[in-house]
Amino acid sequence: MQSATTKAGVSAKDAWYPASKRDIFILKELVSKDFKLKYRRSALGVVWSVLNPLLMMLVMAAVFGSFMRYNDPTLGNYAVYLILGNTAFQLMNDATSQGMGSIIGASSLLKKVKINRYVFPVEKALFAGVNYLFSLIAIAIVMLVEQVPLGVTALLLPFGILMLLFFSIGLSLLLSALSVFFRDVMHLWSVVLTAWTYATPLFYPFAILPGWMQALERFNPMYVYVTYVRDVVLYQTVPSVGMHVACVAFAAVSLLLGMVVFKKNQHKFILFI
Amino acid sequence: MPNTSAEMPEWLPVATLTQSDLTFGEHTFLDASVIGNAPRHVLYSYYWNIEGGGLGDKTGTPGDQTRFGFIPPCPGRFLLTVEAHGSDGVVRNASAWVTVRSSSEATLKRPDVSQSDAEDVISVDDVSMIFNVASEQFGSLKEYFIALMRHELKFKEFRALNHISFNVKRGEAFGLVGTNGSGKSTMLKIIAGVLEASEGNCSVHGSIAPLIELGAGFDMELTAKENIYLNGALLGYRKEFIDEHFNDIVEFAELQNFMDMPLKNYSSGMVARIAFAIATITEPDILIVDETLSVGDYLFQQKCEKRIQELVASGNVTVLLVSHSIDLVERICNRVCWIEKGQMRMLGTTDEVCAAYKSIGA
Repeated sequence: MQSATTKAGVSAKDAWYPASKRDIFILKELVSKDFKLKYRRSALGVVWSVLNPLLMMLVMAAVFGSFMRYNDPTLGNYAVYLILGNTAFQLMNDATSQGMGSIIGASSLLKKVKINRYVFPVEKALFAGVNYLFSLIAIAIVMLVEQVPLGVTALLLPFGILMLLFFSIGLSLLLSALSVFFRDVMHLWSVVLTAWTYATPLFYPFAILPGWMQALERFNPMYVYVTYVRDVVLYQTVPSVGMHVACVAFAAVSLLLGMVVFKKNQHKFILFI
Repeated sequence: MPNTSAEMPEWLPVATLTQSDLTFGEHTFLDASVIGNAPRHVLYSYYWNIEGGGLGDKTGTPGDQTRFGFIPPCPGRFLLTVEAHGSDGVVRNASAWVTVRSSSEATLKRPDVSQSDAEDVISVDDVSMIFNVASEQFGSLKEYFIALMRHELKFKEFRALNHISFNVKRGEAFGLVGTNGSGKSTMLKIIAGVLEASEGNCSVHGSIAPLIELGAGFDMELTAKENIYLNGALLGYRKEFIDEHFNDIVEFAELQNFMDMPLKNYSSGMVARIAFAIATITEPDILIVDETLSVGDYLFQQKCEKRIQELVASGNVTVLLVSHSIDLVERICNRVCWIEKGQMRMLGTTDEVCAAYKSIGA
């Protein structure tokens, strides 16, 4: 080993990244770890990332399309309406519910190695983002099968998803910090997520909501993001300036809140994990 | 002498070493002979054991050979044994101990105590750590708010460390000893930078490489190869560096044939090997060695010790060894700090402190 360390190009003393670059490699390795773990020893492997949103969409289309008769023609293609809403919501859902426990999950590591603690919740959100990329394939398949044309407005999708990702990172930071001090948060959040799923027009049309709820929806970030995604992909319209502002504002507020709470409390984490 | 011939065997084998005190890298010969009323034919076989470990190596069927070469695989104490198979059907054996010192180089001893010119890499200055015991008891929001309402949020102070001060210079091997719950781990966490001291100041110059234990930076479902990259990343290593040194890590951990197996099929000792190999493939400024090392088998522990001593001998690496087992500390460290119940009991050379520490246990 001694001789090997001297002959090599990267010497043993110069083995480390400067502090600023460290986190990128850590994030990359953690995402790839999560990815490998998710599909290890499943026969279809990564195909599930595509298949899962497809099957979910089929179930929901069967239940709500025919049985509940939400198949409102003003919605456009109901299958595409469903899968766009579900996958976007799933991104936030995965990011927060995985990110929430990430600090607690990394406790034994954080007790030993000085790592920037934010990488753990952020990584979970990024991993949810990677999964979203796969569900884009599912969306494309549904659009092909249903013969829904793809317009040039779809080029705005990355913007909407990026803002949604920032929004999710902020929430993930906030929840991961809170759950360190109060594990109740973890139980509570799953209830919140369920409520949020129903409060957001994912499978039902916006129009069936009572008037007061319609007015409130504009304060529902997920409604804003889901609508943005549907506007640019399904309805081929460019969302209003107000929509864009709302997308950025929710992301900024969430990110800011998450960062402030996380930063203020992170030095105390070690006492509670 | 009374006549004991009735109990005395008629003949005895004798094992003679050409050299009984070896340094690592040399080898010795074992000569077998027989004294007493030997049978017509004696055949010999030979095997050796390592102290505290199992059977090392052996020759096969007994033969005419009377001289056996011994090449030490690692430093340590070995028991060499010859088995004499007499033509009268009696089998007897004789043994000899051989001690193999860690290396032929004189530098691989405990580093010298005073290197006054060397810079401080760790300076712990009047560090205290206070935990609010009560604040740790609230596991739920409800309990917290109830207590808050009743103004019952009283904190009982617990001093895990009380005014500890010491400096560690570059190239030293510094030991932290103390019984369980004495505050060793708390001190270690403060030095590693994961815990902030309540009072006082702890400054560390340079990179720190801790040994990451099972279940921390390792994922049981991933293969050893994937874990090496994951761990390297967590320690802040460059990817190119890991690429280049991947084979060295595998070689040092002696796990060439197991690289694509999920880690859950590994024993904890094998994981400790990987952890050690990853942490010491670099030349960190500070290497933190703790109890994790103790799960490895005897031979590997010897190998790790040798590597630690090499790193110390290089003069650039400072080793911080934390253990409640005094043996390892005595072999490696030059200076030791003894912490007991949060108080610094003693700070000084290994011999002084270890003698005092052992007298407590006795």
